[in-house]
Amino acid sequence: MLVKDSVNKQTLQKLKEKLDKGLMPQWAVTDKDIYELERRQIFGKTWQFLGHESELKEPGSYVTRWIASDPVLLVKTNSGEIKAFLNSCTHRGAHLCTADFGKKKTFTCPYHGWSFNLEGELVGVVSGKKVYGEKMIKDEWGLRPIPKVGMYQGLIFASLDHQAMPLEDYLGDMKWYLDILLGRSDGGMEVRGVPQRWTAQANWKMTQENFASDPYHVQTNHRSTVELGISPSDPNFASYGHQIVLGNGHGLSIMTSATGKSPYKYQTLPESMWPMFQRNLSPEQNEIFSNATVFVGGMFPNLAFDSPVHGMEGEMINYLNLRIWRPLGPDKVEVWCWFLIDKAAPEEYKEKAYKSYVGSFGPSGTLEQDDTEVWARIIQVSDALMMEDKELSYNNVNNYLLGEDVFEPVENFPGPGVAYPSTYTDNLARSIQKRWFELISKGLLDEEEDSQ
Amino acid sequence: MSMELQFPNTQVNSELQHEITQFLYHEAYLLDHHMYQEWHDLLTDDIIYRMPLRVTTERRDGSNIVDDMTYFEETKKSLETRVKRLYTKSAWVEDPRTRQRHYITNIMIKPGANSDEYNVRSYFYFKRSRASEHQIEEIIGEREDIIRKVDGQWRIAARTIIPDQTVLTVMNLSMFL
Repeated sequence: MLVKDSVNKQTLQKLKEKLDKGLMPQWAVTDKDIYELERRQIFGKTWQFLGHESELKEPGSYVTRWIASDPVLLVKTNSGEIKAFLNSCTHRGAHLCTADFGKKKTFTCPYHGWSFNLEGELVGVVSGKKVYGEKMIKDEWGLRPIPKVGMYQGLIFASLDHQAMPLEDYLGDMKWYLDILLGRSDGGMEVRGVPQRWTAQANWKMTQENFASDPYHVQTNHRSTVELGISPSDPNFASYGHQIVLGNGHGLSIMTSATGKSPYKYQTLPESMWPMFQRNLSPEQNEIFSNATVFVGGMFPNLAFDSPVHGMEGEMINYLNLRIWRPLGPDKVEVWCWFLIDKAAPEEYKEKAYKSYVGSFGPSGTLEQDDTEVWARIIQVSDALMMEDKELSYNNVNNYLLGEDVFEPVENFPGPGVAYPSTYTDNLARSIQKRWFELISKGLLDEEEDSQ
Repeated sequence: MSMELQFPNTQVNSELQHEITQFLYHEAYLLDHHMYQEWHDLLTDDIIYRMPLRVTTERRDGSNIVDDMTYFEETKKSLETRVKRLYTKSAWVEDPRTRQRHYITNIMIKPGANSDEYNVRSYFYFKRSRASEHQIEEIIGEREDIIRKVDGQWRIAARTIIPDQTVLTVMNLSMFL
């Protein structure tokens, strides 16, 4: 008999009871059985971020990406369409293209030489009919397309699920805020170079929460950057503003200042760009954007963004950072971090924005370094037996009661979603957990499905 | 970006080779012993300190180093900010302190663009032990430096750090390389 219960209906029911009270049982964060459910029911079902359209410059451009453990080949076809395939040869399954990016007309497997064009069609079979005869229908052996591919404001997503809801429905009200971050400038945003990649001891849920819904950690964890003038100078800067809970486990915090207006109008972007913002965005979006110091949030399950102001040489500069937490197990993530800036920004500003990013986020970032420390500390204790106790005989639940009974949603917030009048609240974290639970428990708690 | 240092490396005498080698060992000692201010003093005011990204590319697509995106894109001033941070009470990643070793090898030197400068290539092997973790983190690669003599003292005027991994397996880059 197993000492520890596997995840069954009863444990899920208890998990739900705790979550409903704002308590996250610690065992569930890194549990191996839960992780397997996450892999199949979350990463196998939801829309996953693959990259930005500016990374695929011309026909034949490609990048290779991962959806958790599924290798993805993302290409721009001759007609300019973006397509995604399983990056695995259809002959023996070998990893087809191991380069990070490049430009090609055909992809040839180094094993037996089968080759595929940008449409994923099998166009070359070594020795062809001599060995396969007339029976082989090449059309049946093309690369396997990723079931769903979609794009919003230049962000390319895909889903392994044929039944996935349309991307725009999935993003829902988040689109309104993505329009501010990505659609404010003529020509949109552009990725500089390639994403930074590194591995961290971390659980993907905790890193997502760290970015998407937890401004409360900034005050302590990132205090050094306030002391040194890398971050806005008010030690409480991350608390002012609103936390906005959107549907589907998405949401964000929009930080302002003690006065409700940012000292950095339009996040320090040059005044010459403001009329363009006013033209491309609605008055409500402009009101929010012009008064914001930081936008930080996430799209379920593992895409997070940060559009802050930071600077290593005293001057505050804005940029957009997108990141995914690719899970490599319950206790390890591979972080992919993209730097983006408005294509229409002056070159001088773009350069400063890039330096501001490198100094603040990514593996060498003066903020992110301290994040990695705390992600690892959660993992280091995760095997504790006391955390496995599913009864409340020990205090083995994490606290998600920040702001509970303190902050009520505000009325007349200019944007969609449920907005709370402080970023120091766990409302968004709880909505992410709610979505997470719905997906991992799907079919396991439902009476009708169980009886079938 | 390569300085094309060719072997055999006979362009500097053994005394100079020894001096510069000892200078780089001294630098590594300061870093490994958390003497970051003293390390910062070894840099010239106009230092360019960079760490581009390594990527996997097919040979036909050329270089496997991406210069447009980096892990470090630093000036003396931004490095000063990074150094000062390590002396605050809330640079949690280095408090408790990690234990670090910089192994610097394969030092190749040739005269630089100016009479007081030398182009120096070295390999690095960095190991780090954190708290009571059993696994030791590591990162390897090479560095291309410009070492300059300023008022009789060796100084680092430029450094490009090129990692070998495309996906770093150190959990952060809280160190200097």
